[in-house]
Amino acid sequence: MIGRDELLAALPGLTGPALDALTAAGIVRPVQSPDGPRFRPIDEARLTLALELEDAYALDAEALALVLSLIDQVHGLRGEMRAMLSAVAAEPPETRARLREIITTTRVTLRR
Amino acid sequence: MADDPYAALGVAKTASEAEIKKAYRRIAKTDHPDLNDDPAAHDRFKAASAAYDLLKDADQRARFDRGEIDAQGQERPQRRYYRDFSEGAGNPYRTEANYGDFSDVFADLFGDGQGGGQGGPRRGRAGGFGGGGFGGAQGARSFDMRGQDHRYTLEVDFLTAARGGTTRITLPDGHSLDVQIPAGTRDGQTIRLRGKGGPGMGGGGPGDALLAVTVADDPDWRREGDDILTTLPITIDEAVLGAKVEAQTLDGPVKLTVPRGASSGQKLRLRGRGLAGSGGTRGDQHVELRIVMPARVDDELASFMERWREGHAYDPRATPRGGRP
Repeated sequence: MIGRDELLAALPGLTGPALDALTAAGIVRPVQSPDGPRFRPIDEARLTLALELEDAYALDAEALALVLSLIDQVHGLRGEMRAMLSAVAAEPPETRARLREIITTTRVTLRR
Repeated sequence: MADDPYAALGVAKTASEAEIKKAYRRIAKTDHPDLNDDPAAHDRFKAASAAYDLLKDADQRARFDRGEIDAQGQERPQRRYYRDFSEGAGNPYRTEANYGDFSDVFADLFGDGQGGGQGGPRRGRAGGFGGGGFGGAQGARSFDMRGQDHRYTLEVDFLTAARGGTTRITLPDGHSLDVQIPAGTRDGQTIRLRGKGGPGMGGGGPGDALLAVTVADDPDWRREGDDILTTLPITIDEAVLGAKVEAQTLDGPVKLTVPRGASSGQKLRLRGRGLAGSGGTRGDQHVELRIVMPARVDDELASFMERWREGHAYDPRATPRGGRP
């Protein structure tokens, strides 16, 4: 984890006031420590993405928070989906066949 | 040299190519070491020419502006994208997914917080769409946080990766850990050790250790997908007369029948002796025969061959594939 000054040095596109604004809006939530806020690698990557989105789509803080929340959900679901698929891949073919049947049956029911 | 080539030339980041050139020419005229004795001018000139070298090339300049290379033209460490962090379990920014009736199934498989895959802080405050960091001015605050995932690279030898086994690793904090390598592990595969990463904060569970596995090359074993290729050296008499020869497989030695009249390069297939593939079936092992001469060709062998050649000469080069099957 790095401190505020190191973070600002690592992200040339980020100014102190901009960081304060993003923190106040809850877009980045640094870890609190006795020496002030500490930033994890995920915070740094999130800020980089936030700056790029702000820049490319001229988003205000609220819209940015919405977009990032959706991205978090998609990324998380993708990670879980991959974990599920790798678990299914380790199962014998019969299990997969059974799962396929359930999945396709459910779909048909939903379409009706 | 200065870290900012634009500053070294005294131009704005938005300066046009012509402006950059002009700025460099101006410094070159006044500060050139051959024209100006002042050491400070020498430094200015050095910085300006290095900066100009970088910025005069539009591609290089664009790469610098994107942060891909530094002012010295060196590659910056590869950027880690947000997804590298946010796809993993325990992204502190993600609100909990709600699977309705299947929530218990999800929790059963993925864990529901403490020490498991899901981040502790999300539990209990995932209300509808908003959840955690979405309601506005929450700002920086103390909260329960799952520990960081620690990444390591682990090299295992070919046979351990293929057969599965245990390897002991020593973590940076001095603790050692027995790691189960699953059979059929591929190069580049990642093994996740739940709860072996950094300690969590507050009520958060520890992070995971992620081991990126590299499989070392082995001179005797090669892999192709789920199949394994090995080479089996045989003697000339075994090649001529055929023989039962012991060959190594992942499951231990087996007796292999070398057919009468075998050639170098001929492959024998051992079904199901390859690596455990996806879907639970195993690949095959292909054993390539290689005829090896005796250490010394003695007179008896030589004279026999001479006699044999007189009546049975043949030309393997006469067929397009070199006489191989």
